[in-house]
Amino acid sequence: MTAVQPARAVVSPRQPALWIILALLVAGGARMATIGMRFAATYPVATLTALLLFALLAVPFWLFVAELDFLEREPIVLRVVAFAWGGLVATAVSIPGGAALEDITAKLGSPHLAADWGAALAGPTVEEIAKTLGVVAIVLIARAQVNSVLDGVVYGALVGLGFQIVEDVVFALGAVALAGQGDQVQPVVATFLLRGFLSGMWSHTLFGALAGAGIGYLVVRTDRSIHHRVRVMLLAVLGAWASHVLWNSPLFTDGLGNGGLALLAVLLFKGLPPLVLILLLVRIAHDREADYYVGQLATLHDPALITDAELSALRSGSRRAAARRHAGHRARSAVRRLQRAQAQLAVELSRASCSVSGGLAGSVSGGSDSDSSVAGGSVSGGSVAGCSVAGGSVRVSRCCDEVRDQRRILVAMGHPEAVAGPRTWRHTASAVGTAVLAVAVLWAALTALGGA
Amino acid sequence: MGRVTRRQLTNLLGALGVVAALAGLAFGLPAVDRALPSERPVRHDQPYLIGGGVTVVPPRASVIDVTGTRPGDHEGTVLFRLGPVRYAIVVRPFDGTLDAAATRLRQRITDTSGYQVTGAQLTVATAEGLAGVQGGYTGPGQGGRYAVFVAQGRTIEVIVGGADLDLGRTLPAIEASTRTLDPS
Repeated sequence: MTAVQPARAVVSPRQPALWIILALLVAGGARMATIGMRFAATYPVATLTALLLFALLAVPFWLFVAELDFLEREPIVLRVVAFAWGGLVATAVSIPGGAALEDITAKLGSPHLAADWGAALAGPTVEEIAKTLGVVAIVLIARAQVNSVLDGVVYGALVGLGFQIVEDVVFALGAVALAGQGDQVQPVVATFLLRGFLSGMWSHTLFGALAGAGIGYLVVRTDRSIHHRVRVMLLAVLGAWASHVLWNSPLFTDGLGNGGLALLAVLLFKGLPPLVLILLLVRIAHDREADYYVGQLATLHDPALITDAELSALRSGSRRAAARRHAGHRARSAVRRLQRAQAQLAVELSRASCSVSGGLAGSVSGGSDSDSSVAGGSVSGGSVAGCSVAGGSVRVSRCCDEVRDQRRILVAMGHPEAVAGPRTWRHTASAVGTAVLAVAVLWAALTALGGA
Repeated sequence: MGRVTRRQLTNLLGALGVVAALAGLAFGLPAVDRALPSERPVRHDQPYLIGGGVTVVPPRASVIDVTGTRPGDHEGTVLFRLGPVRYAIVVRPFDGTLDAAATRLRQRITDTSGYQVTGAQLTVATAEGLAGVQGGYTGPGQGGRYAVFVAQGRTIEVIVGGADLDLGRTLPAIEASTRTLDPS
């Protein structure tokens, strides 16, 4: 099984692709900076507002992707490159390419065809290719880092997120120019509501994740034939394109009448199927990776490193979050650090192809760790000295020490195990309150943007 | 100097492939677009539907540029060309007054770097009696006229642009066409 192949090296300057990709990022950055400066010179307040609002919009998406990527975290430099590719290179290419393809549609078809379907055909075709090339670029500069389908999802989603944020800023400033009321922020806020709240969830981040999964499958699943992998990759990219086409299409523009409910129905019809499908695929990829890494930790059989309940918690994003919540305000970050240390240990175990028969605890110098009991809170320190790990023993040993250190901190806080507690009424109330608030904001946005 | 390995060569080819694909999107598609003709003949003896129910009779000797023409049920644009002169009409939903629409259009013109409005703003009317305002503007290497009308929840914006000599030759035909605007 080669679904997960963790690696250590990030990028090598000896790879020519690194310098070519960097040159493309600089060129894309210069192009987008030129466009940005032109807007900023005419509409400084609106430009600043748009940058701030859409940068804020990026935060929840970034956090979601980070949680998805919790177990085997991608290097920050590659995540930034993916985001920058989407925001600088893919956008810089898509602006002239998309406009040209729409004009070609008008020339080869008709102005009516371009008016109705131009945005649905030209935008997705150019943009999905430009964004997918971002994941290809990551593979070229750091092939060893793309070691699971989920990694492809993460890089694809970040490319899409970068594209989404920069495109939204450009759209917002285009709306300011079109309004013809000078340097006003109202069109920016309207664009934020429309593209942030109403369209944000099923936008480029989602499409990019699907295309990225395809690239991830192509490079990782070497146990399958190249024909099969290419077919899956093309299917994923085609799926991203089709989801984008459906979203941009004029279908049901007038078909469901006026009002907030009609607009909501159209949004759900166009956005929900791709959202559900892609989230399902992402879930499968996440679970596959989680099973692999948790399986590595399960071989340790050492409750000082990870208990059975923690194994279960570490496997799922929601249970990891529940464990942090259960720890309370004081111990929350300590639980996060323990989970992070455990995840890092799993990755190092996997990298070292460590076969720890009898568990690491049995070969810990000092001997006390084999007797350590989480329940009793008597976790003592120690380092792995006798672990028979080929090549990676030092790193595994360091990770074990780090887990023990974090465990000790947690025990000192009176919270020995990083697991979720029983569901409390406060959490239920908080979840319901958040849902009600989200619906209220959605409804306000729908009403403000033509639903009324 | 070290030898280039097979792995590095493959890496380089892959990166060049990415560059080629991007170049195809950023430069290839616009090149194909430019290579295809954009002008289409149009009848000058019957109204042309711009969008949102608004029609206009095209000026004599004009052709339609399909790159600037996007008809629609609620809004639309059309771009006519009379030689080097551009004659564009844009119809959009609008719930303000004629003054507000004119102010908005002037603002958009002056927001464009190097462009400014010139002279006084005058009233204008279509053959159907729809009142509007018109004025002039100048930009880098060209001048032009604008006109705005508001009718039935829509604004109709007319923008004419070109070199002064060409404008002088074509403006009578364009103004005659503008008078045929019909929002019914």
